[in-house]
Amino acid sequence: MELEWAGVPSIAIVHEEMRGSAQAIARVSGCPDYEFLTVDYPWVPIAIWSKEECLELAEIMAPKVLTALTGQS
Amino acid sequence: MTTAAQHAYDSYEALVEDYFEKGWTDGLPIMPPTPEKVAAFLECAGLSGDEVLGTVPTREVTCTAEQAAANAVMAGCLPEYFPTVVAAVRAHLQPKGNCHSTTGTLSGAAQAVIINGPIRNELGVASGAGCFGPGFRANATIGRALRLVIRNVCRGIPGFLDRASYSTPARYSFCFGENEEASDWEPLHVQRGLAPEQSAVTVHSLMKMVEATDFTSRNAEGVCDTLVTNIRANGIAGDAWLGEDGNVVIVVGHEHHRFFVEEGWSKADIQQYLWPRLNAPATSATDRMARIGKPEGILIVAAGGAGMGASWLLLPHLALAITEPVS
Repeated sequence: MELEWAGVPSIAIVHEEMRGSAQAIARVSGCPDYEFLTVDYPWVPIAIWSKEECLELAEIMAPKVLTALTGQS
Repeated sequence: MTTAAQHAYDSYEALVEDYFEKGWTDGLPIMPPTPEKVAAFLECAGLSGDEVLGTVPTREVTCTAEQAAANAVMAGCLPEYFPTVVAAVRAHLQPKGNCHSTTGTLSGAAQAVIINGPIRNELGVASGAGCFGPGFRANATIGRALRLVIRNVCRGIPGFLDRASYSTPARYSFCFGENEEASDWEPLHVQRGLAPEQSAVTVHSLMKMVEATDFTSRNAEGVCDTLVTNIRANGIAGDAWLGEDGNVVIVVGHEHHRFFVEEGWSKADIQQYLWPRLNAPATSATDRMARIGKPEGILIVAAGGAGMGASWLLLPHLALAITEPVS
């Protein structure tokens, strides 16, 4: 959100288990409808991910990030 | 005017200050144990005031239900919590709950109160995120009630019979529920011979609590190996008086629990995997034998919230974990 406020198009990615706290931060920041992307299992919330896991997740998330930022799929 | 037992005070503040002065608190304010409140607590548990809940022979201590009720009021309990407090006091004052040693020790052992069965949800005992506290009245006050009994009835007073070098914040209160709804794992009290619908309390005196973090493993065996490494880094000496019945409590966190569930591991499977590895001979000063007499002495409890790839190890002091039904 701070990046957005600074004029940098951005989208937050949070783990599904942290959705509640992300929504709470959005609410207390005055942006209750702030949208964010979520990652769910099998990617665990806190982990030492292997390079392969990182790349696999990036391939899944990158199109979603582009869509969120540009509105184009 | 506020009345407590045989004493009368002009104000609540005066009562609290007098209790501090007399050494009847853990350092935090208390609720006044008025005769009416103590009576209401006893009624809720169906006990007469002179019923003996347990003794500490070495200290010439006999703990009655009235004494426990007064301390439960002081701790901030609601009347309906009191049967659970009674079970915790009875458990801790069993001979092999070893009150005298575990509350007098230089090591500053703490007492974990683990709650199972329907009473958890009836009282709102937290078993998920943040369950070790603070923030949950039932957890905070039930655990505190046991500790106030230890202080005010069992004479576990710092500088007197409590000789802890540092002690631990867990001695203010340490109470949580097992997250029985998280999986089809057999709850702790059922493993210990009680019916699933029976509510129960298990009191475990712990020398220390160690967080076993593992953000790397992606399977049950990997998590188990991390548990073994962390327990063996501390070692468990065992004790002739406790014999083969000694315990260690492993509070399996949400992220680790998932791997066990996904791979179909029961608590018994974990016990069977851990037991020979814990009891293997030491190989170095940081890889020591953790002497547990039987696989079922390893008590597995599911609790805690999502996020951290961590479980907690409650390493024992010189006592058995005692399970008592809540009646």
